[in-house]
Amino acid sequence: MVKKSLMFVGLLVFAFFVTAPASAQAVRGVTDTEILIGQWGPQTGPAAPWGAVARGTDLLVKIINDEGGIHGRKLKYFLRDDSYMPAKTKAIAKEFVEQIGVFAVVGGVGVATGMTARDYLMENKVPWFSPVTGVYEWIHPIQKYLFAMYPLYDDEAFNLTGYLHEKLGYKKIAMFYQNDDYGKQGVMGVDRYLLKKNIKLVAKISAEVTDRDLSTHALKLRESGAEAVIIWTMPTHAALLLAETAKIGFKPQWATSNTLSDSALMMGITRGLWAGMINSFFSELPDSNHPLMVKYREAHKKYAPSERWGVFYYAGIAFAEPFVEGVRRAGRNLTTESWIKAMEGMKDFQGIGLPVTYAGLKDRQGGKHVFYGKVKPDGNIERLTDWIRITK
Amino acid sequence: MDIKRNYYEDIELFKSNTILVWSILFLIFLAILPLFIQKYHPLGLSLYIVNLITVHAIVAIGLNILVGFTGQISMGHAGFFALGAFTTVILILRWSFPLWIALPIAGFVSSAFGFILGLPALRLKGPYLAIATLGFGMTITTIIKHMEFFGGRMGLQAPKLELFGTPMKDIHYYYVIMIIAVLMTIGAVKLIKTRVGRAFIAIRDSDIAAEAMGVNLTYYKTLAFAVSAFYAGIGGGLYAFILGFINPESFHLIMSITFLAMVVVGGLGSVMGPICGATLMTFLDIKLQAIQDISLIGPALVTFSQKYMSIAGISNIAVIVYGLIMILIVLFEPLGIFGFWIRTKRYWKTWPF
Amino acid sequence: MFGQLVVSGLAVGACYALIAIAMVIIYKTSEVLNFAQGEMAMISTFIAFTLLETHQVPFPYALALTFLFAILLAVFFELVFLRQAKDPTVLGLIIITLGFEMVLMGFVGWKWGPDQRALPFPVSNIEAYNFYGLIISKINFWTLIVSLVLMFILFLFFRYTKLGIAMRATQQNQLAARVMGIRTKWIFSFTWALSSMVGAVAGMLIAALGVLDPPMMMDPLLKGFASGVLGGMTSLPGAALGGALLGVIENLFGGYVSLSFKSVVAFAIIVLMLCIKPSGLLAKHYVKKV
Repeated sequence: MVKKSLMFVGLLVFAFFVTAPASAQAVRGVTDTEILIGQWGPQTGPAAPWGAVARGTDLLVKIINDEGGIHGRKLKYFLRDDSYMPAKTKAIAKEFVEQIGVFAVVGGVGVATGMTARDYLMENKVPWFSPVTGVYEWIHPIQKYLFAMYPLYDDEAFNLTGYLHEKLGYKKIAMFYQNDDYGKQGVMGVDRYLLKKNIKLVAKISAEVTDRDLSTHALKLRESGAEAVIIWTMPTHAALLLAETAKIGFKPQWATSNTLSDSALMMGITRGLWAGMINSFFSELPDSNHPLMVKYREAHKKYAPSERWGVFYYAGIAFAEPFVEGVRRAGRNLTTESWIKAMEGMKDFQGIGLPVTYAGLKDRQGGKHVFYGKVKPDGNIERLTDWIRITK
Repeated sequence: MDIKRNYYEDIELFKSNTILVWSILFLIFLAILPLFIQKYHPLGLSLYIVNLITVHAIVAIGLNILVGFTGQISMGHAGFFALGAFTTVILILRWSFPLWIALPIAGFVSSAFGFILGLPALRLKGPYLAIATLGFGMTITTIIKHMEFFGGRMGLQAPKLELFGTPMKDIHYYYVIMIIAVLMTIGAVKLIKTRVGRAFIAIRDSDIAAEAMGVNLTYYKTLAFAVSAFYAGIGGGLYAFILGFINPESFHLIMSITFLAMVVVGGLGSVMGPICGATLMTFLDIKLQAIQDISLIGPALVTFSQKYMSIAGISNIAVIVYGLIMILIVLFEPLGIFGFWIRTKRYWKTWPF
Repeated sequence: MFGQLVVSGLAVGACYALIAIAMVIIYKTSEVLNFAQGEMAMISTFIAFTLLETHQVPFPYALALTFLFAILLAVFFELVFLRQAKDPTVLGLIIITLGFEMVLMGFVGWKWGPDQRALPFPVSNIEAYNFYGLIISKINFWTLIVSLVLMFILFLFFRYTKLGIAMRATQQNQLAARVMGIRTKWIFSFTWALSSMVGAVAGMLIAALGVLDPPMMMDPLLKGFASGVLGGMTSLPGAALGGALLGVIENLFGGYVSLSFKSVVAFAIIVLMLCIKPSGLLAKHYVKKV
């Protein structure tokens, strides 16, 4: 009995070492006819509204393949749902590299989730184009294979405060933020600006991600007597706060980050209170006449008519366009190195998103611009400025 | 053969030579498993997933000592898990402890908190205990979130460990984690067979009767919490390294509930049960999300979604299937997957009767 | 500010109380901790949303149809899943409800997508009444009124109607109740239906207060559960009291001490209270015989 089993195991081990390893590809994820790319995004769970980004990228892939691909190669896109759970994100990253063998990772919403995958991707020399969050983690320290594009929250908040203070003349500014990475980096920017001008925030109120009752927060904001309040939260919290402040009769000038720039959605869930909001934007407006926007809107009608044409859906296109452009510029001879070289030479490239410029290994933060708009009572946006450079 | 003639025979780890042989074979299997997985990725498995499963199994074994053997409920094990993870990482980052010292310390820190949580458990039962433990789990993560010492909301990057001068990869972690898991499994089997384990079971069956028979409730209930938290702490410490980055947000209530589900689905009151449960639940959790990529079913689901549901939410099918599997296993096999195994074994033993 | 904090706290507490009551109704009769309560309420609210928004059904009819749906859903779950369990353990039942919670959550995400929405509701969540300087929004005011009325009706129901008495009898001794001619199986289904309806009311009020999206009931469910435990899981007035207390304590703590620890402190207080009175504020403590 014992002998038999041992022999069996011995055979297994033998079979194992004898089998020859599969031959390696020249460039991982690039064949004669295909380029494999992947993206994770929360399709389920509480963060699911951001999952639209990953589905938007799918639309861009379909458009490109319809036009014949890039230099004779079609894009093959793998979308994976990580439910915003870091353990799953890392599993997906491993699947991308070890099992599918992707050329690059595109997009990816979430800081805590992306951070579990960052070092792994970098160690395996997998290009990662633009995580869809504007935090410092992506560019400090600078990683050779990681290109960031999303405007930094810190700089965005810094400039938004400047806009409120200098252009619109508000002196008493308060901040309402979400207690996480995203909110914290917003606070950082606001504080940095006000410190420079030697003024203090009149109130700094934070909400936990799970909070659903913001009446106390609203009361505290009213007590502070702020003239303008900067919101740095998720849509739900912004809507709850606007309702709570409206009923206690507190009506400051609101301003918010580009994370809440989906004004159609926000108008709906705030029942019209969103009007008058000053908002920063990272891409063209949904009804823009920009030729590319017209083209994408048509493709949207053709391929994914049931998707809502929201800002975060076509953000999936905006944050993948420079990647595609890099692949195009790298030419038929596409390797990781040639792509990186093409990206590093990119100067003021602009699709439907913000202009993107990279400079060698010194600067991996490509996106440095936003523009401001004001939400009109009908939900459309009045453009207040042109693209403004926020990162010096 | 099943009759035990003395106490030492009962607490023996291997009841017969057959079991001993099979155990050794199983260990050999575990030793060569990573080579196999790395090469062929059966069922889409990767070493990372196996590591994750093993870590979850460690936590589930510990939770089962509390839930399955002592009859207490804990909905806050993510708290202990977080404590283990953050303690290990901080000990290594700030004071450069070696892993083999930091990990047990993390375990003991967790079990100290387990002891504290065990105190209210002396008086609380059922839903009351559930809410107390749930609150505990949430409090721990909130406190971690608000202390810059723990990296605040940004979380902490786990240091890169080295083995003989080369950075550790998944396969090295596999052996480290597996050795610890095997040791802790043996520990759990031993614990249950000794006086302590009998006391736990007596408390589960009736704490008043147990007390009347001379079982010190205060001691054993808090001990059960402490032991269980120790397992969760060790698991958390290892989790930090396979993930590479820990953030307090990810140790939420859903995690506690998943641990509980692993134990119940696997089988309450056995050591193998939680291992099966952790394997199945973790595997499903990670692999189900590709459900619409399966040929044949996939396109059908897509058309169905377009017609009657929403295409944006198609990934939710995975959540539905996951929930249904949980329900069905508990419905039809109250003893969990392990109960199914026992039944099959009995069926074959007595076949054809 | 103190008065305002208390008033807001009471309004939030009323929502917690409704969920607590829904959970207590079930726990009282069948000793099942129903973790699917929140998602059952959520899916009912989504049904109400579809009726009101997509099909433009007038509110009273939409309400009636939503209740009908809530009843069917609960009875379906009780009959098809819970009753089929063979000798279930307490934990096994909890896992079944958790599994059902996931199924419902997944279904809603699949059917309606992940986007947030606003529930069209006859009472505005923006306008407010002003009682001598104390501001209470219309929706909060009506939440309070609705919960008080509902609690009163439930109280009368359990006290004076035959069905209510039968439910209490089933809770105290199932076997004896059956001997006395009570169809205990019917009673269980009825319990679930009643609880699901109360939950649906809570769901609609919570959605009307803020935003309608799949995870909207996660936090309220926990708080509702906590309120139920605080008041004693077998006492309806206890659940109401627990909800009100929890809402007020939370708000006062948030207002005067710390906003960040607001949610957590509620649990800490509950644990402390439970240590003093292990079966909640208003429930009787039964000592089990061996």
